[in-house]
Amino acid sequence: MTAHFVNLLDDVRRRSLAMARLAQDMLEEACQALLHSDKTLAQRVVDRDGEVDQAEVEVESEVIRLMALHQPMGSDLRLLCTVLKVNNDLERIADCAVNIAQRAMHLVGTGAVQDYPELLAMMTDTRRMLNHAVEAFARQDLTTAQATPKEDQPIDDRYVTIIRNVIEQVGRHPEQAAAGLDVLSVAKNLERLADHASNIAENVIFLVTGEIIRHQNDLPQD
Amino acid sequence: MAATQENMVSADEPMSRSVAERPGGSVGVSFSIRPRARTHTPLTPVIIQCRNLTIRYGSFAAVRDVTLDIREREVTALIGPSGCGKSTLLRAVNRMNDLIPSARAEGQLLYREQDIYSPQCDPVEIRMRIGMVFQKPNPFPKSIYNNIAWGARINGYRENMKTLVEQSLRQAALWDEVKDKLHSPALELSGGQQQRLCIARAVALQPDVLLMDEPCSALDPIATARIEELIDDLKKKYTVILVTHNMQQAARVSDRTALLYMGELVEYDDTAVLFTNPQNPRTQDYITGRFG
Repeated sequence: MTAHFVNLLDDVRRRSLAMARLAQDMLEEACQALLHSDKTLAQRVVDRDGEVDQAEVEVESEVIRLMALHQPMGSDLRLLCTVLKVNNDLERIADCAVNIAQRAMHLVGTGAVQDYPELLAMMTDTRRMLNHAVEAFARQDLTTAQATPKEDQPIDDRYVTIIRNVIEQVGRHPEQAAAGLDVLSVAKNLERLADHASNIAENVIFLVTGEIIRHQNDLPQD
Repeated sequence: MAATQENMVSADEPMSRSVAERPGGSVGVSFSIRPRARTHTPLTPVIIQCRNLTIRYGSFAAVRDVTLDIREREVTALIGPSGCGKSTLLRAVNRMNDLIPSARAEGQLLYREQDIYSPQCDPVEIRMRIGMVFQKPNPFPKSIYNNIAWGARINGYRENMKTLVEQSLRQAALWDEVKDKLHSPALELSGGQQQRLCIARAVALQPDVLLMDEPCSALDPIATARIEELIDDLKKKYTVILVTHNMQQAARVSDRTALLYMGELVEYDDTAVLFTNPQNPRTQDYITGRFG
C-alpha cells in the first residue's frame, strides 16, 4: 500500500474525529443551554446540525471511495468499517443534541429542569460517557472502549427514575404537563445518545481486536 | 466553540460506579462483554500434511521448516511476495520439483498419510492423483477433444472417451462454448478458454487434488472471474491449492490462506480471519501493503 493511501486513511480518520468533536460540542452546548435557560446557545446547536449532516455525507463518501479504489484489508479494512459505523452514530448523536436544544428552548422560563435533579445527573453521565467513547476512538484505546458500554446502565436507570418522577410531578401539578413532557423528551434523547456512545465504543473494540461483541447474549450460543 | 465545559472529563477519569454489564441497546437489554469464539470454516479431513518441510535448491533453502495441513475439498491459497517459496511449496506437493536437478526435500510431505517422497512412491502416479494447472495456459497443439482424450488414452482409459471429454469440459465450464468445435485446434481458443481447457485436461485424469500456480495471472478480469467461479465449483469435488499474487483473489476464492515470507510460513488461518484480523504483525503488514 502506498504512503498516499496511508495519508488518505489518516485524513478520513481525522475528519471522523473532527465530526466527533463537533457532536461533543453540540451535546455540551445543548446541556448548557438547558441548564442556563440560554435560548441563543440552544439555537446555535440547532443551527450546527447542518454541519454534522454535511460532514457525515463527506466522510461516508470518502470511506466508500477508499474501499472501492484501494480494497483495504486487515486493520485498514477494520478502520474504514469502524469510521463508517461511527459516522452514523455521530450523526444520530448530533440529532439527539438538537432535540435536547429544541426542548431547552421550550423549557426556558419554566424552571422545570431544577425540579429534576436526576436529569442533571443524567446529563453529566451521558456527556462523560460520550467523551469516553470518543477518546477510546481517538486513541484506539481498548481498555476505555471496553469500560464505556458499562456506563450505559446507570443512564438507563436514571431515565426510568425520571419517567417516574415526571409522572408523579405532573400528577401533583397538572399545569406542568407540557414541561414534564419536555423533560421526558430530554431524558429520552440522553438515553438514546448513551446508546450511540455505547455503539461507538463497541466499534472501537472491533477496530482494535477484530471481534464483534454486539448482541452477545441475544445470539444463540454455540 | 471548544467543548471544555466543567462537565467534560478526560478518558483517563476512573470509573467510580459499580454497574451491571448491560450496555447498548434500549433500556433493559442485557449484555456482557466477552470475546466471541472465532467462527472457523467447518473442518474436513486433512488430505495433505507438510511436516517440517524444507526444500533446497543446492544450498539455498527456498522453503524452510514448513508445517501445515491442507484439508479436503477446500481451496487453500498460498500467498506471499515474489521469491517467498509459495510456488516451490506448491510444486513439491506433486513432486514437480524432481524435474529440477538441484532441488531436494527434507521433512515429510504426506498425501493421504502416504509420504510422497518415499522411494516406494511413484511420482507419475502422484501427478495423476495431484494434477496441476500452470500460470500460462499450455494446451497441446492438438484439437480441443484430443487435449482431453490424449492424457486419458495414454493412461489406459478404456471407457467411453466422448463421455469423459464432455464431462471434463463441463466441469471446467467450457462445454457450452466448444461443443460444436471439439475438433478445432485448441490454440485457436482465447486465453481464458485455453486455461479452462487445461483445467478440463487436469480433471479428465480424475485427480484428487488440483494445484494451481497463478492460474489467472495471464487472463483479463472477465476470464479471471470465470476461473474463480470454476474454482468455487471444483472444490465440491476436488481439493484445490492455489498460488496467487492477487490477495483479493485469495480472499475471494479460498477457504484458508497461508502467508509465506522468505521460505517460512508466517501465518495460516481461515481466509476471512487472515484478511480481516491477522494475528501476526508481518501478515498485517503484507496484506495492507506495508511490507518491508
